[in-house]
Amino acid sequence: MNYLASLLVLAITTALINNMVFHFFVGNCPFIGVSRKVDMAFGMGAAVTFVTTIAAVLSWIATYYIMAPGAPLATWLYRALTHDPVKVSDLSILSYIVYIFLIAWAVQLVEMYIRKFFPALYKAFGVFLPLITTNCVILFVCLEIMKHIGLDAADPWGLDKALVYAFFAGFGFLIAIVIMAGIREELDHCDVPKPLQGPGITLIIAGILSLAFMGLTGVDGNLARMIAKKPATAEKAATPQAVDVHHSYSVAPDQPATLNP
Amino acid sequence: MKNSYIGQAWLVIVLSLCFGVALAAVQTALNPKIESNKLRDTIGQIPSLVPGAADGKAETIGGQTVYRAVDAQGQHVGWVIPARGQGFADVIELLVGTDKDVKQITGLYVLKQLETPGLGDFITGDAWRSQFKSKPADVPLVITKTAPKTDSEVQGITGATISSRSVVGIVNGAVEKFRSAVANE
Amino acid sequence: MSNDGPTPLERFINGILPENPVYRQILGICPTLAVSNTMEGALTMAGAVAFVLICSNILVSLIRGLLKPHLRILVFTLTIAAFVTIADRFLAAYMYDMSKLLGPYIPLIIVNCIIIARCEICASKQRLGAAVMDAVGQSLGFMLGLMSIASVREILGFGTWFGKWLGWRVIPAAAPEIWSNWVIMILPPGAFITLGLLMGVMNWIEARSRKARKAVAA
Repeated sequence: MNYLASLLVLAITTALINNMVFHFFVGNCPFIGVSRKVDMAFGMGAAVTFVTTIAAVLSWIATYYIMAPGAPLATWLYRALTHDPVKVSDLSILSYIVYIFLIAWAVQLVEMYIRKFFPALYKAFGVFLPLITTNCVILFVCLEIMKHIGLDAADPWGLDKALVYAFFAGFGFLIAIVIMAGIREELDHCDVPKPLQGPGITLIIAGILSLAFMGLTGVDGNLARMIAKKPATAEKAATPQAVDVHHSYSVAPDQPATLNP
Repeated sequence: MKNSYIGQAWLVIVLSLCFGVALAAVQTALNPKIESNKLRDTIGQIPSLVPGAADGKAETIGGQTVYRAVDAQGQHVGWVIPARGQGFADVIELLVGTDKDVKQITGLYVLKQLETPGLGDFITGDAWRSQFKSKPADVPLVITKTAPKTDSEVQGITGATISSRSVVGIVNGAVEKFRSAVANE
Repeated sequence: MSNDGPTPLERFINGILPENPVYRQILGICPTLAVSNTMEGALTMAGAVAFVLICSNILVSLIRGLLKPHLRILVFTLTIAAFVTIADRFLAAYMYDMSKLLGPYIPLIIVNCIIIARCEICASKQRLGAAVMDAVGQSLGFMLGLMSIASVREILGFGTWFGKWLGWRVIPAAAPEIWSNWVIMILPPGAFITLGLLMGVMNWIEARSRKARKAVAA
């Protein structure tokens, strides 16, 4: 139960709160470039989700077994070659190069597979696949996963968490780009000031959307607390009085957050 | 056939070899410095967390890595406990300093936080963190909205109640866990 | 054919305004938005991009005669990824605080479209001189773009300019009742809105100067 709960919190955090586009700013190029029509946006989002998941699995395997500090396969090889029984290998300097080629490879693989076996699907989002290699979302997800593997990782992730993280990161991108496309379709009927037409107004709308998504901050913390009700001795002791003050953005910008007088 | 493959790809192969050598050189030259930077992040904080401490050594107690803080003569003066937990947004990572009997908290340092800039990130400020100095470690700390009246009270941050509450919760949990681990040793 | 393109000087000037990577080509917006809430972060990022761009432009220009057309993207990617790794390690060793602040956005330079676009458009077709000037001009343009956004965001959000390095305060801290920091400018929405508005301003200025030029010509 606890395990499922942690996955749920991770999924919600990734897709909604730390949304790839609105919080980490990754994947902005397609977000601005391919968000004119809802169906195209959906195709792009779906393609990104798909490739991200596959690339994340590949990079988790490569990192866990070969590149992370103390990775079993590389360490075994290193020890066999040098007859040094204590030292561990650390190939993490290669990780950026490996990731980018894994991503390119995954994109090629997915493209060929889909063209062969799902022609209809290929028609729907095949055109976006080559563009995806340079989509920051995928590399960003690989890098995040890298941080959670290895001897000195504070919060190690297994393949399960990496998979959930990658899928929901892509899903968050899908949500963002579809919402944006919906707005931009309506925007065609509006009278936008000339200098702002095109990317300008898109960015401003993205800013407003990002403001809206910020309203979800804190959902993860409260959800985690709600699910983990029981280890309360320490938790409860910390909470008795200050319950009525909400941590929201409306309280504060006009008053500097200092200690109470 | 094979020849033509090599004819096509020799440039890529040569480039990869060159970059491999370059990266290996960079790794050998810079890795010690990077490692010491990372270490300084935690060990370097120990003198400010435990009064009189000059250095620290990593140790495993109760399945958890902690740092034994020692003074210039190598005398044991306290502990530094790394702690992590859910904050308002994402995870907060802390270092908690205690005296050597784990009776008193001697300092608090925020290693990593992604709380709201301008509000929640006031937990990293000196003014707020210094409240934790010489708080008792054997009773759970409590957050209040007004100036603390008893010894175990900590004043929360206006507009960042959950952040401050989370920090206190993490500190309480970590100290409690470490105290029982030390008692079992 | 191979040396017919614009001259080095034209390449250099193009990068700064007419083909500014941030405002005109709209390339590489991810780092532009993500690290532009302080001047220090913006400058470090621009420095890293400049290093990678100049190095890979030089290398690609030197080997341009050997490139096979269908393998060129592979070579570009390999080059860029290697230089980004080197830049990342140097930052981690000598500017550890900045490296922590920029976090994943340094490795994300690999997929920053500016660099691969410059390799493709300029360095793989022109001589070394033009390639270097192009890289310098584009990096300068990128730096100016980043600095313009970072100035707005840091001044409105923190009230400082180069606050971490030089400690300059633009808005006095003593008067919170007159002016308080716009927290939103530091946060993601501020980045989007600032860039959108600045882009509008740039377009407006350009339209006006074009109109003025037309009036003079007529």
